[in-house]
Amino acid sequence: MIPLDFPIIQRALIGSILAGLLTGLVGVFIIRMKLTSSSFCLSHAAFAGAALGITLSLNPLSMALIFSAIIASIIGPVADKAKLHADIIMSITFPLNMALAFIFITLAPSVSQLTGEFTTILWGSVLSMDINDIAILAIILLVTTIVFYLLWKEFFSIMFNKMMAEADGINTKFFVYLAIFIIGIVVTLSLKLVGGLLVFALLVNPASTAFQFLHELKKIVILSPLIGAATCAAGLILSLFLNWPVGACIVMISTLCFAISVFLSPKRKRG
Amino acid sequence: MSIHKEVILKIENVSTVYEGERKPAIKDINLTVNVGELIYIVGPNGAGKTTLLETINGLLPYIKGRVFVFGMDLQKNGRKIRSRIGYVPQDFMVEPDEPFTALDVVLMGLYGKLGLIAKPTNNDVDKAYRVMKLLGIEDLAKRPIGKLSGGQQQKVMIARALAKEPEILLLDEPFSNLDPKSREMVISIIKNLNDHGLTTLIVTHDIKSIIENCRRIVIMMDGRIIADASMNEAKRIFEYSTFHTHVYL
Repeated sequence: MIPLDFPIIQRALIGSILAGLLTGLVGVFIIRMKLTSSSFCLSHAAFAGAALGITLSLNPLSMALIFSAIIASIIGPVADKAKLHADIIMSITFPLNMALAFIFITLAPSVSQLTGEFTTILWGSVLSMDINDIAILAIILLVTTIVFYLLWKEFFSIMFNKMMAEADGINTKFFVYLAIFIIGIVVTLSLKLVGGLLVFALLVNPASTAFQFLHELKKIVILSPLIGAATCAAGLILSLFLNWPVGACIVMISTLCFAISVFLSPKRKRG
Repeated sequence: MSIHKEVILKIENVSTVYEGERKPAIKDINLTVNVGELIYIVGPNGAGKTTLLETINGLLPYIKGRVFVFGMDLQKNGRKIRSRIGYVPQDFMVEPDEPFTALDVVLMGLYGKLGLIAKPTNNDVDKAYRVMKLLGIEDLAKRPIGKLSGGQQQKVMIARALAKEPEILLLDEPFSNLDPKSREMVISIIKNLNDHGLTTLIVTHDIKSIIENCRRIVIMMDGRIIADASMNEAKRIFEYSTFHTHVYL
C-alpha cells in the first residue's frame, strides 16, 4: 500500500505529475527543434549556479535559475554569431558550466553544506518537495502551456522546417531563443525531481515514446506530457515499493516505456 | 497611349556570397520586374538561379547592392516582404516519419500573414482545402506529408505557396518531380493566376515546360545575367548559341 495520506507522499506525487507534464511538453519542442543538448547543458548551468549560490551564501535554487536563464539567453545569439546550430553551442557550454561549478565548489566555505545541496541537484530529492516547490512548478507549467498555446502556429511551422518558416515571414530566431529560455527554466525546476544527471531522460523519453505512436505533432504534444506524468507517478510509486531512489525509478520506467513503444509502434508495421 | 507599369521588384547591382566562400554566387545583378509579369530564369546548374530567388525573398543576405520589393527595402523589411511572397524551394523532400499532415503544411503558408497569437480560422482551413482541390490533392489532406510521393509533396509545397495568396510567386524548379499530366495541370494553374495579375518568377533548367504567358526569359550563367530577353529573342539565343546545351542539360 502506498501511504497516500502522508502529506510528504502527496506532495511528491503532485510534484512528480507536474514535472512530468512540464518536461513531457517541453520535450516535444526539444526533439523537433533539435535542442537535445539543452537538457545536460542547462542542468549543469543550474549546477554551476547553485554552487555559486552556496559559495556566496545565497539561495542555491534561485541562483541555479538565474544562472541557467543567463546561459539559456546567450546560447541562441552566440549560435547565430558563430553560424553554428544551437545544439553545438550547448555542447561547448556544457563543459564550461562544469568547469565553473568546480571553481565555485573550490571557493565554497563549507564542504558539508555543499555535499547535501549537490546531492539534491545531481540526483534529485522529490520527497523534500514543499508546497512552494509545487506552486512554482504549477505556475511554470501554466505559463509554459499558455506561451506554447498562443505561439503554437509559429513553433509548429519552425518545427516543420525553419527555412520555410522564415520564408513565410516568421521571426525564427526569436522563437528558437524563446524555446531555449523556457527549456532552461524547466530543466532547473525539474532538478529537484530527478536531478541534473537524469533530467535528460525526463525531457526526451516521453516525447520519443509519443512519436512512436502518432503521425501528428498536434496530438504528440498532448500525449507526451501525459506519458511524462504517468511515468513520473509510476516511478515514484515503484520507488516507494522498492525503497529505491525516485529519480532512478522514474528513468527506469520512462526508458522501459520507450523500449516497449518501439516494439509496439504502428509505424514499424508494414502491410 | 503608354501603359503605366508598376515596378514590384527592383534589384540594383546585387552580389551574394555564400558563407565561407570568396566567389560570389551571383554578381552585379540588375533586374526590374513589373506587376503581373511571368519570367523564366534559366541557366545551367550552378548559374546562380536559386541564389537569385533566395536573395529576392531575403533568405540569403546580399553583400552589395540594393533590393526593393513592393517598394520596400528588403534589408529593412525582410519579414514583412516574405509574408507577401509565395516560395516553393527546389527539391524539398520530407522524411517519412515527419509528424505533419499535408493540410498542416499547406496551412503553414498562411501563418506569416496571420500575425502573432492569431489562430487560423475555418475560412483559412477552407482556403487551404480549395487550393489543395485546385491541385488535385484534397484527398491527401490528412495523410502524413512524409508518406507522399515526391510529386505529391511538390504539389503540397506549391499549394502552401498559393494558399498564402502571394503577390509574388517564386518557384524553384517546380516541375522537377511532376509527371507530364501533373506538370500540365500546374502550368495551367500558374497561367491562370498570372492572367489574374500574379507576378511569377520560375527558375528552371528545362525550358520545355515554358508557359505561353511568358514574355520574358532571363538567362544566367556563372552568377551573372547574360541575357534578359523576350521569348523570341531567347529562342534565337538558344538556336544560335551554345547556351542551349547548358540550359537543357
